[in-house]
Amino acid sequence: MASLRSRGSFSKFYSLIPIFILFISVLNEFDFNYLNLEYFSFNFPFILIFFFSLKDFKYFDYLLVFIAGLINDTVIGLPLGISSLSYMIICISTSYLRNITIRPHPIKDWFFFLFIISLINSINYSLLTLFFSYTLILENYLINNFFTFLFYIVFLNLFKLYLKGVND
Amino acid sequence: MASSRDDFVIAIRSAFLKKSTQQKFSLLTLVFVSIFTILLSSLDFKVVRYLKIAIGEVVYRSSFVVSIPENFIKNTFIDVYEYTTYFKKYKKTEKELKNLRSNYVSSEIIQYENQELKELINDYVSTSDKIMAKIIVDHQSPFLRSIIINKGSKDSIKIGTNIYDQSYLVGRVIELNYKTSRVLLLSDLNSNVPVTIAPQNIQAIVTGAGEDFGQIQYIKAGLSEEIIGDSTVYTSGTGAVFKSGIPIGKLISVKDNSSTKYTVDFYSDFSQLKYVFADVGTKKEILQSEIDTDENDNKINNPLDAKLKILEDEKKIIEETNLKFQQENEKLKNQINDLSNKILSLNNEVSFHKDKINQVHADVNELEFLRLNLDYGHKCRKSFFNNKGFVVGSEEYKKCVLNRGRIN
Repeated sequence: MASLRSRGSFSKFYSLIPIFILFISVLNEFDFNYLNLEYFSFNFPFILIFFFSLKDFKYFDYLLVFIAGLINDTVIGLPLGISSLSYMIICISTSYLRNITIRPHPIKDWFFFLFIISLINSINYSLLTLFFSYTLILENYLINNFFTFLFYIVFLNLFKLYLKGVND
Repeated sequence: MASSRDDFVIAIRSAFLKKSTQQKFSLLTLVFVSIFTILLSSLDFKVVRYLKIAIGEVVYRSSFVVSIPENFIKNTFIDVYEYTTYFKKYKKTEKELKNLRSNYVSSEIIQYENQELKELINDYVSTSDKIMAKIIVDHQSPFLRSIIINKGSKDSIKIGTNIYDQSYLVGRVIELNYKTSRVLLLSDLNSNVPVTIAPQNIQAIVTGAGEDFGQIQYIKAGLSEEIIGDSTVYTSGTGAVFKSGIPIGKLISVKDNSSTKYTVDFYSDFSQLKYVFADVGTKKEILQSEIDTDENDNKINNPLDAKLKILEDEKKIIEETNLKFQQENEKLKNQINDLSNKILSLNNEVSFHKDKINQVHADVNELEFLRLNLDYGHKCRKSFFNNKGFVVGSEEYKKCVLNRGRIN
């Protein structure tokens, strides 16, 4: 049975869905903030980029990820390039993880993800406070980090379903 | 050992430099471009500024379009909540409206008086020219609190333009594009507003807390003890970033273990904003010559006209009040007359009862006299055997009977 990817233009569109979702998420910033749940926020683009650059990297164009970062900076109001750098660091880390991993395991990926997002948030926090004189609350970054880490497992299963659909 | 280090180097090199079949650029190139972009955005080059404006215009509009489904869900969620509390809110609003109407006239008079006084002291007069703007993007990040409005430099908006929700301050413009601009909300951590705390007249700075409230900072030592609950916070106008006298919120004191913190509960709910007003008015210096010319001219300028109108309104209100007082006076007079008549009739009744009581007393005395007359009448009556007695019916006879016989 031929996979979806070898079935013409519709399959190509289907392969580009993660990129579309990434663009929609950076333009829309859907994070349920309007629910006014205290201490709740997570970074969906981090999860999406980490997963697809790790598992489906052939169809996940880094240039488009870079542009998504620029859009995210414009929407949020951060200095241009901050999110792009963060996204590129995720891509590098997943590329490295792929190279060193012989037998992939979701739990290992999960904790590697925690390490990477912690590193990125630290870089972001340092850059914004030291070079751009932004006043930020570190606690918010830690909470965001924690929920992004937790939600990875939830979205991991959804994304796996998508990949299964593409490859079958 | 050397082998594992080689593996690490190979993995890193591969991660940075190796391009996959579909990738146009290596990750290292994109990282360098990112760093270069960050450096450029920190420098205020004209080209970069225009590039940012162009990106902003496109991205904000796209963000608005993409956010339509989420906004629909969000608005439905808010609508459902509002419908459930509709009646309660209506009652509260009705009460508030009544109070506000009564305060409105005096408030306007004060405003015009203030304007007139500013003219007298040669200060500037701000012509408040507000334009309405729609919020196209309001993604409230947990880190930064800002909104995007659909008015930009084309609509005379400038960096620092004050943004209002009705008459309450919301924030100021920090990023300007041709048709859009970014407003930094008062709740943002990077927002600092010089304020006056009334009625104590204490100067302070309100900074955003990253939440739905602000924090009072930089109060002069000792003055914080003077602050009482329910104080009002409004802009002081210090630094000329914000206009003076714009209401911001109510002061709330929060007792900590050892110290008391002061927070500001904003009048405006930033999460519910749909439209805002941008103050594009410019301040105008009043020159003495202008004032003299104005005095010589018989033309009535706008503030005077407006003040006259207000005074006429006030006169009308006073006349209406007088009429009401007169009517009430008449009513009271009628009531007094009725009461006087009632008192008169009661007096008559009292005198009638008094007469009756007197009559009863007289009857009792008469009865006593008759009883004694039976017993002692023979001792007082003048007869053949008692020539010292009195004629029956005379006053002496009566006295003698009442004394139970003659007293020798």
